[in-house]
Amino acid sequence: MRARPDTRGRAGRRPFYDLLMNVDRRVIFLVIAAAVALPLVFPLHLPVQISPEARAYFDEIERLQPGDQIILSFDYEPDTMAELDPMSYATLRHAFRKRLSVIALTTYAGGPGIALRVLGETAAEFGQQYGTDYVFLGYNPDYSATILRMGESIQATFPTDHFGTPADSLALLQGIDRYADIELLVSISASALTEYWIIWAGGNYGQRIIAGNSAIQAVLIYPYYDSRQLSGFLGGLKGAAEYEKLIEHEGAGLRGMDAQSMAHLLIVCFIVLGNVGLVMQKLRARGDAAGRAGSAG
Amino acid sequence: MDWSILGMWVAAALTLAVFSLLYRDNPFYRAAEHLLVGVSAGYYLVQYFSSGVIRKFYVPVFRQGDLWLLPGGLLGLLILFRLARRTQWISRYAIAFYVAAWSGYLIPSTIQERVLTQVGATLPPALSGAGFGAFLGAFIILVGVVSILIYFYFSAPHTGVLGRISQIGITFLMVGFGASFGYTVMGRVSLLIGRFQFLFQDLPRTLGG
Repeated sequence: MRARPDTRGRAGRRPFYDLLMNVDRRVIFLVIAAAVALPLVFPLHLPVQISPEARAYFDEIERLQPGDQIILSFDYEPDTMAELDPMSYATLRHAFRKRLSVIALTTYAGGPGIALRVLGETAAEFGQQYGTDYVFLGYNPDYSATILRMGESIQATFPTDHFGTPADSLALLQGIDRYADIELLVSISASALTEYWIIWAGGNYGQRIIAGNSAIQAVLIYPYYDSRQLSGFLGGLKGAAEYEKLIEHEGAGLRGMDAQSMAHLLIVCFIVLGNVGLVMQKLRARGDAAGRAGSAG
Repeated sequence: MDWSILGMWVAAALTLAVFSLLYRDNPFYRAAEHLLVGVSAGYYLVQYFSSGVIRKFYVPVFRQGDLWLLPGGLLGLLILFRLARRTQWISRYAIAFYVAAWSGYLIPSTIQERVLTQVGATLPPALSGAGFGAFLGAFIILVGVVSILIYFYFSAPHTGVLGRISQIGITFLMVGFGASFGYTVMGRVSLLIGRFQFLFQDLPRTLGG
């Protein structure tokens, strides 16, 4: 095993760039934690700019008339609640405020608990009645068959709602049975589910779709927005914050933006410092090699 | 007793137990990890069995008399033959059916929506007359798409003009990876924000009544 080169200066002290390259990772965790926690306790109220895609998402719901039907699919599980719950809350607040009829479902086995909590809280906030203003169809195994079959018959795909009530006895579903009866489909997703809604519901049945996506997924969704296969979308917590600003209701998205900005600023600093350290180390090693070659000659 | 408050305390304790891994591995983290695995396994087993076997098979076939679901259900049962090495081959019939059906309805739609529509949408923004900015953006996208496709063309050596174009393609790929990395950082920080909002905002609010 080769010994590490001694990069200490003449006085025996390690140069600053060497220290930069050997920071204990726990120090970095602690600094990030402080950068995230402090703005939550002492908000800075940094401005949030609205992106065109978030504006389009808002406009798609805003243009609907009271009584219009929307499908809201909770395509995520508890691991991404922090990013996507704010979008679900804001979407339902916007929809209920406009008196839209919401048909909710989930394509994930871990989704019913999330959907019931978000639906229950927002419906209570706006005095919405289950069965007439909104319904929850629950979880249906195999998202591919679910999405495709809903184009033929929603009630055949979900013969009962989440609570076992026959779908044909729900007032909201009277005369509503396929994508053609639905004004807008909203997919709140942390996976490729949004793409499958676009491919099958959008491509095969011409369903108008908007989506809220986790940050990691958002970068894959942009092309669908550019090609107009998606009419609007929200990317990550930033997208949720933009949408909350548009509906004028501060939620977890807007409250988290200061922390998000501070953490990003800090990570940029870490990246710059790390690269400065790396470049300095390489320059030093190159200088040492040139010095050795000179003395050998 | 208000069980939701007890639930908040348990959630807070588990959050701190998971965070403790950032210092070093310890029994509190292990306990939280094992609890998550156990609870998840139990939850998903019940959820899949209830929604798949009971709601989609047992109730329609045996209570409502939809016997046409029986062949599909029996085909699904063949999967259980994987549990014994000697009968594993029988399960392949169910897998073959599933793969064939999935391919049948996925491949044409995917080619249409993920490839053809995307190809068709490469240039229109430049021709929409939305100004020089839109034209420039569409032109950059076009250069990116072509150069990346050439980078993935392996039937000729990447030298000369081909090599220079594929270098441009690599640059575009790096920009794409950078954007992905940025979004990934944002996503991870968002998860941390979610936990901190719970610890510093939701928990005190709930406990404060």
